[in-house]
Order: sequence, then structure tokens, then C-alpha cells
Amino acid sequence: MKFLHLVWKSLMRSKRRTFLILCTLILSVFLITILQSLLATLDAVSNKPTEGNRFVVRHKSGLTQFLPISYGEYLRQQPEVLAVANSQWFGGYYQDPKNFFANFANDETTMFQVFSDRISGLTEAEIKEYQRDRKGCIVGQILADKYGWKVGDTIPLTGTIFPMSPQLTIRGIFKGRMASEENTLYFHYKLLEEGVQFMKGKTGAFWIKTKTSDDIPRVANRIDTHFANSPVETMSEAENAFYLTFVKMLGNIGAIIHGVTIAVLIAITIVTVGTMSMAIKERTTEIAVLRAMGFSRARVLFLLMAEGLLLVTLGGALGIGLASLVAKILREILGSALIFLQDFRLANETILLCMGMALIIGFISTIIPALAATRRSIVEGLRAL
Amino acid sequence: MVLFVGFILVLFAAYLAWLIYAAIKFPLPFVYNLRSLWGRKSSTLTTASAISLVVAIFIVVLSLAQGISKAFVTSGLPNQALVMRPSSRFELNSSITRDQARIIKSNPLVAKDNMNPIASAEVIVIKLFNKSDGVGSNITVRGMEVTGRSMRPQVKLVSGRWFQPGLSEVTVPVKMQLRFPELVVGRSFKMGGRQWDIVGTYDAAGSSFDSEIWSDVNDVMQAFKRETYSTVLVRLRSEDDLGSFTLQMEEEKRLKLEAVPERSYFKELTKAGDPIRIIGNLITVILSIGAMFSAMNTMYASVASRTKEIGTLRALGYRRREILASFQWEAIALCVLGGLGGSLLSFLADGIQTGTTSFDTFSDISFAFTITPRLLAQGLFFSVGMGILGGLLPAWRASNIPLTEAMKA
Repeated sequence: MKFLHLVWKSLMRSKRRTFLILCTLILSVFLITILQSLLATLDAVSNKPTEGNRFVVRHKSGLTQFLPISYGEYLRQQPEVLAVANSQWFGGYYQDPKNFFANFANDETTMFQVFSDRISGLTEAEIKEYQRDRKGCIVGQILADKYGWKVGDTIPLTGTIFPMSPQLTIRGIFKGRMASEENTLYFHYKLLEEGVQFMKGKTGAFWIKTKTSDDIPRVANRIDTHFANSPVETMSEAENAFYLTFVKMLGNIGAIIHGVTIAVLIAITIVTVGTMSMAIKERTTEIAVLRAMGFSRARVLFLLMAEGLLLVTLGGALGIGLASLVAKILREILGSALIFLQDFRLANETILLCMGMALIIGFISTIIPALAATRRSIVEGLRAL
Repeated sequence: MVLFVGFILVLFAAYLAWLIYAAIKFPLPFVYNLRSLWGRKSSTLTTASAISLVVAIFIVVLSLAQGISKAFVTSGLPNQALVMRPSSRFELNSSITRDQARIIKSNPLVAKDNMNPIASAEVIVIKLFNKSDGVGSNITVRGMEVTGRSMRPQVKLVSGRWFQPGLSEVTVPVKMQLRFPELVVGRSFKMGGRQWDIVGTYDAAGSSFDSEIWSDVNDVMQAFKRETYSTVLVRLRSEDDLGSFTLQMEEEKRLKLEAVPERSYFKELTKAGDPIRIIGNLITVILSIGAMFSAMNTMYASVASRTKEIGTLRALGYRRREILASFQWEAIALCVLGGLGGSLLSFLADGIQTGTTSFDTFSDISFAFTITPRLLAQGLFFSVGMGILGGLLPAWRASNIPLTEAMKA
């Protein structure tokens, strides 16, 4: 610790150089932090805590095909099943196509059992009121705050997938665990069935709650076998697997992000090695003087390493700090392009990972020139004067 | 915004022109600086390789965005229009009855070939296929009339033959075969309760049809028990008829349909690439700034170690601005070196076939990373820009070292 002043002085020996390399480090760490957080956020989508023990039954040929609602009878008969809610992504917008958020037509009673973990903060009376009003809807807190909605407001929803634009009355504002859960609107399934002729007796998916999560593979398999070879075959998946198909839809984003991360790491290592060797070479004489004064090789090496590590620690911390500052803005931008990224955040593991990478870069790029400098004999170093 | 960018570009061009003039008029400092790059091999190489990585990322990201747009932009013909149900936005959501299709085809504005209207009533369905990594992905299956094939002249048969109506046959894109191992000529798959034979492969020259499976419209409709078509694609007698055709589709009482120029329909679809594009742009902007700082650092170091040489040049009678120009050239050369390396690196990604899925239609879009001469030129231009911006301050410093001090060093 007593050498901190010396280390700091040598880092500040060339302020401009330190400043420039610091900027490069900050930007690189910033970029890596953002990219890795992006990946972590996408991974988290299909890794949600499934305390609800849910799974999804949908048409085998894809999300744009519908299942007969009558299938619900068989699903409810399964002994492991607690509740079944039919659900359809409505894909409507509020006033302007840019005001895009998740909105579903859901069974108005069973949804509160099936999604009990996602929807909270509604009173019994509000739920009753919502269930009573065929044209009612419930919205998440974030959504209500964003558009200034209150309970009792009537809001128009313009359909894009379905030729229907309902006027809905807000009957309750609920809370969720994550931003994406609160950015959601639910309305009565029957309203969709009445409003859209080709949806009569059809649903996009059944969401099913079982007693325990261990039941899911067994009952899912039984359901798919039961409907196999019928005109409308089903595909049953656990909730996480269902979300995973959406994440996979983006294509190989993981490969792109890892590729860029590796390229940036290599580039920044090269640059830092260059800068550190420049900084150390400049001080050949100084190092020889230190040695002549009685500093051991190990101590000089320690001082040089401390300098390099201090530099990357600063760069890493500032880069991560910058990333956390813009995380909120990025969440807005990315969230509007892709609904999953509404939950974009810097996870602690990601921050640790990026800081760790910065330290490794600092270590590699200092140890090479530092070892060379400390191995040089004192006489040789002094001669360089 | 455009004005601002234009202004910056003009400024850049003027500065570059002056630099070229200075290099021609005073070749000695210019040559001296270029040779000093060679003299400081290790630091030149370090900076150039870091820059080359950044330029490579820049080119690859651009090629990605371009690959996605190309998939859509090259898909439509200017004199063709797509008739859909109003506000359905995508073919998949649209539906058109057989009667409506008949009325559309008999419209006098529709081009004719031997008395037959050049139009194709089509149906779009989605089928889940497994990718090579075992994950399922939805593919658009397009049922079309025989004319539909000739209305997409960019699509060419590669092997086997085209599907025959009535036989439950499909032809698949050759570019999809790498990513979807099930799609092999001679094999068959189950869809809509029927068995379908894969009888041939086609190539759609990078357009969005490279992401579809083609079959006969009636076969698909029967298999899926559908009563309605999705859309009708028509070729008009001339591009100028688009406006009046659109109006007629809207106003005809029996139709009340929406006609969209095929080109603009596909342009709208490019939005599927937005998430990838946003992330890509973010990456390049941040990286290029970072690389500029690094180039600046190298140049400052290079200036600092050559104070004496700069003094000599000044003593020989070269003015400050000539020194500025020649050091600026050194920075540009350094970055262009990196740019050339980056161009070479970017070829590693050339031709890789990948895909994303449209969140609007839930179906797969295939596209390829294609490194074109245009992209390489953009990459080089980008590196020149980095050289100018990164080198300006160090070069300024070089030109402002006082003569007396420089001689003392």
C-alpha cells in the first residue's frame, strides 16, 4: 500500500497516454459488458423461475395455427392438472403502432390460478369486477404508468393480427416480478371469440398448471400421444422450453456476441501490451536506479504489475459504470425492438465476468514487458541513460 | 441530419484533397513518415492489427445488415402487386376467397400471356422443421399456381424438378438444406395429414424466397382443409398502373381489398432484421471510437520519439503545415494498413449461411454474410476516417513543436 503513490506517479508520467489507453479500455469494457448482459438477459428468458409449474400446449405446426378450445376438456381431465387457461397473443397496439406491448386474450377465471406468480397486487373486488365485465381488461403497473392509465379508463386497442379493435375498460392494475411481466395487458378470451369469426372455438395455446414440475414431462407426453394422428396435433412444452423457441428465433445471436467479444478482447490486449511496453521501456533507467537503490527484482516486478493492474481496474470499473448508466436507455431502445429485452439489466455475474476479463488483460499485457525489464541487469539499464 | 453529414463529408473531402496536394508538392516529409512506419515495425504492427480487428467487425456487421435487406429488397418486381385483406400487413394473416381471386384476375389492368392473366393465387402456411442443431424453426410453405413460378424470375431450379400439381410435391431452396437437414431431395415429410415428397431444389439468388418451401396451391389448401387463399400476386401491364389498380381493388364492392406493390411489401419486412441491426450499429460505433483512441496513442508516441527528426525537417525549411500533412499521412497509412488486414479477416465470414426468425410472421429468414467489393470499400473508407480523426491531434502536435526545442532534443 505504501507504494501506491509511486505506482500512481508512474501511471501519470505520461498523462495523455494514460488517458487515451484508459478511454480505449473504458469503451471496450463498456461494449463487452453490454453485449454479455444482452446475452444473459436472453438466457434468462428461457430460465425463469417456474414456481407456477406451467406448461404450454399448442399446435404442432406452429404458433400461427390454432387448437380447438374443446381440447381443453381432455386437458382438464388429467389428474396432474390443476388449471387450464386458453390464451392468445393479440398483438394489438394503443393509438400508434409504435406503442407496442404484449397483450393477450386469456381465460378470465383460470388465468389467475395459472399465472398466480406473474399477476399480483389485485384485490378480490378488482378481480371480480374484471371477470364480470366482458369488455374489461387488466394492465401491468409499468404499462399504466407509461400511458397514465387509471382504473376505470377506457382504452382502444387496435388489432394487427386479428380484424378487431376492442375498446377496453381497465378494471385493475397488477404487479409482476419483472418489467416484461408488467408491460402486459390481458382481456377476456370470449371477447376475441365473439369479435373474430375465425377464432370461434379456437385458441392459440393452452397454459396449464400442474401440481408439481415433475408431472410435466409425463402429462405433456400423454397429451401429445392422445392427439397424435388427429387432424390437429399438439405440441406440449414446459414454459422455459416454450420461451427458448422464441429466443432461438433470433438466430445465432450468441455466436455473434461471443465472436465480437473475443475479437475485442484480442484487440484490446494487443493495444494494452503495446502501451505498457512503451511505458516500461521509457523507464529503463529509472528501473535500473530503483534496483541500484536496493529494490529487489520481485519488488520492481510487483510495482510494474501494480501499475498495469491499476490501469485496467480503473478502465474496467469506469466501463462497467458507464454501462450501468446507459442500461436504462438501452432497455427502452432494445425493449421496443424486442420484447424480451425489456428485462435488460446488468447482472452481478456479468459485471464480475467483465471485470475479471479486464484484470486478465491487464495481467497479460503487463507481465510481458515487466519481466523483460526486471531481467535486464542494472549496469545495462543504467547504460541506456 | 443529412445536411450535417453532408457538411462533414465535404469537410473530410476538402481536407483529404489538401493532404494529397501536400504529399505531391513536398514528397520528402511524406516519404520520411511512411518509412518511419516501417522503421517502428512492432508498434506499427500492434496498432494495425488492433485496427484490423475493428475494421473486420465493421465489415461483417454491415454485411449482416445487407444480407437481411437483400433477402427482401430483391424479392419483388416493380410492376407486380400483392392483393391482401386490408390491414393484414403480412401474407400469412391475409385471406381471399376463390370468388375474389377470380375477380382480381379478370381486372383489365392485369398483364396477360396468351389470353391468360399473369397472376397467381397463393396460400401461405407454416411448418415446423428441425434445424441442424436440433431446435425447431418455422418455415413458410407457399402454395402457388404454375404462373407464380415465372412471376419470380430470380428463382432458378438447381436440381431435380419442380413440384407437380396434384401430387403433393414440394421444391425446396438449396440454401436451406445446410441449416435444415430434413430437406433432402427424395425424402418426404408429413404436413397437414399428408405425406409430401421433396422433388427438387431451387436457388432464389438471396431473395426471401430462399426461406420458403414451394408447392401447389390446391394441394396445400386441401391438406390444411382451407377454403380461402392467402393472397393473389398479379403482374400489371405497366408500373404506372399500380395506383389505379390499388384504387380499384379498394373500391370494387365485391373486393374491398388492399393491393400493395410487391417491392414495398418486402421493404416493410426488412424490419425483422432490426434487433440484429441495432446491436450491430452499437458495436461498430463504440469500437471505432476505441480504435481511434488507440491509433492516437500510437501516433503521439511516434511523434514524441521523433522530436529531433521533426526539428531537422523544420530546419531544412519545411513549414508547419507540411509537417502536419505528412504526419497525418502516417496515421492514415497506419489505419489503412489495418483496414486492409481487416478486409482480409472479414473474408473468414464470407458465405456463411445463417438465419433469424421474423417476429411478425413467425417464420424463418435465411440470409448469408456476403463480403462485396462495396463493403470492402466502405471498410477502407472507414479506416481512412479513423486515420484522419485519430492522427489529427498528434500531427498537430508534431507541427507545433518549437524549432529551438526540437533542435535541442
